Amino acid sequence: MKLTFHGISKTFVSERGEVPAVRGVDLTAREGELFVLLGPSGCGKSTVLSLAAGLLKPSSGEIRFDGELVAAPREQVFVSPRERNVAMVFQSYALYPHLDVFGNIAFPLRVARMKEESITAEVARVASMLGIGELLRARPGELSGGQRQRVAIARAIVRKPRLFLLDEPLSNLDAALRAATRTELKRLQRELAVTTLYVTHDQTEAMTLGDRVALMQDGRVLQIGTPRELYEEPRTPFAGSFIGPSPMNLLPAGVFEEKGRLYLRMGEEAVVLPPGKAGEVRRLATDRVLLGLRPEHVRISGDPGPTALRGIVVSAENLGRERLVTVDTAGGILTVLTDGEAPNEGAVVGLELPVDTASVFRPEDGG
Amino acid sequence: MSEERGIRILYIVGAAAMSAFCLLPVAYMVLVGASSRPDVLSAGASVRLTAGHFFEVLGTGSLHFPEYVLNSIVVSGLSAALAVALAAPAAYAVTRLELPGRMSFLFLVLAVSMFPPVSLVSYLFRMMSTLGWINTYAALVLPYTAWVLPLSLWILASHFSRIPRDLDRAALLDGCGRLAALRKVMVPVAAPGILSTGILAFIFAFNEFLFALLLTTGRNARTVPVGIALFEGLHGEIPWGMIMAAATLAVVPVVLLVLLFQRGIVAGLTRGAVKE
Repeated sequence: MKLTFHGISKTFVSERGEVPAVRGVDLTAREGELFVLLGPSGCGKSTVLSLAAGLLKPSSGEIRFDGELVAAPREQVFVSPRERNVAMVFQSYALYPHLDVFGNIAFPLRVARMKEESITAEVARVASMLGIGELLRARPGELSGGQRQRVAIARAIVRKPRLFLLDEPLSNLDAALRAATRTELKRLQRELAVTTLYVTHDQTEAMTLGDRVALMQDGRVLQIGTPRELYEEPRTPFAGSFIGPSPMNLLPAGVFEEKGRLYLRMGEEAVVLPPGKAGEVRRLATDRVLLGLRPEHVRISGDPGPTALRGIVVSAENLGRERLVTVDTAGGILTVLTDGEAPNEGAVVGLELPVDTASVFRPEDGG
Repeated sequence: MSEERGIRILYIVGAAAMSAFCLLPVAYMVLVGASSRPDVLSAGASVRLTAGHFFEVLGTGSLHFPEYVLNSIVVSGLSAALAVALAAPAAYAVTRLELPGRMSFLFLVLAVSMFPPVSLVSYLFRMMSTLGWINTYAALVLPYTAWVLPLSLWILASHFSRIPRDLDRAALLDGCGRLAALRKVMVPVAAPGILSTGILAFIFAFNEFLFALLLTTGRNARTVPVGIALFEGLHGEIPWGMIMAAATLAVVPVVLLVLLFQRGIVAGLTRGAVKE
């Protein structure tokens, strides 16, 4: 099923006035796609999920399932959650405490008045798929976090929903279980081929799971793309700093031209831009930019070349496989991820700036 | 002698004092009911223990005591059941739907329950007379239901608001309408709270005196508190022994009710519903 949000806004009315949670969101999750909504807490991603589920009505805009209108305040269309056939896995799991595991998984089928024999067969099928066939008589209170998670997923997939919604499903699991469940979720989603909206604030989850990712901030979608596109071509400084194993360095730089070549000036030092980047900077039509440099792309070198910046090492942290080095340069503080030997604190080093893979932003886009 | 031990002793002493204070009248009631003479505590009285008053109360046809007990149970039971049945959907609406002014609604309901019953009773008497309902169960069940409804609503609303919202959201997504979500998820999950609310409503109605006194004139619907108050001795004296025996017997249904449902009021039924 294809899910489309067109110009969706949601404003909550409280005693303290109107609070906009989602502002003009456009997005399309394609048939069978695992679409991730990524953003910091309070960015509106869970509200988007509730809007897709029909637990909330949009204030304006249109939501379509395969072209069919399911919510549009202007046309006064609203399809209730029970008629949408969507399933959701809640962050809290929301298992029914008065029912055993079988009863929980069977619940949507019983509500749909399926025959009891078919229910037994269906429950057994999904339970074995998720490896909880032995637990059918247990109460939610007797289960571990990981087992509850599986029951919640089983309940969601048992009735073959058109749309699968996952609200931070891994955030209550410990680190080891989280990585394992992440892989399994991905496999399960591929197997079922159900269009899936997945909400998370964890960029690692978004990057590893998502076919495409929508990055949200302050109720708006900033950028939609494959994980690779978001990593390589962030459109805003926020996207650059939110996505990636460690936040992107953002250096303010002046732009100037000399003898037909474009340079970036940081403090007293300047680096020359390769022709491709020069064109990109020209298109921004600004004399000041924010230069976005990924810590894992900056190289520490002994002698500074034409695209290098000199600085003093402030600190070096050992992260195990890599070292995170903080360097004070004329352009500002830079962090560098290196798998080589870390220089001593106080040492003067040259930093090889990866100008061709760097991102350039207008300073007014924030940072 | 540790501090923990000291606290334990204080705890036991405090609990004992509290229990004694509360149970002393009850003990007096049972004692007088079971004694041959009411002046059981006066010096020099020759008193023996007897079950005579109890048999007298139950056996004397002209007292109609068993009928009063039955009336009380029926009236209180119906009132409690009606109040809870009405309060449950109301509590769901107040805690789960986006209603404007739901807090004001709750406080209005509370304000209504503050009305002193004595200010209503003359109007109720006229109304029930006009309807011809004096001396019927309806004359008591309807006012009692209205009277315990605010209390039930408040207690149930507090129980419902403690149930995680994700639970009824899950029910809505699993294909339930609002009413089905209430019936299949909220009510079973809140069952201990609903039971205890019902018992509380039952006890309130069971103890009520004023309405019962004025809205019943005969034994058809008369309840235990009024029945006992109207006990008369053979020669106009107050039959303390029988009154106390009857009062003791009247406690039995309530105690039985609480004991019976105690098992249902298991704490921690919501355990494992959501990850806290």
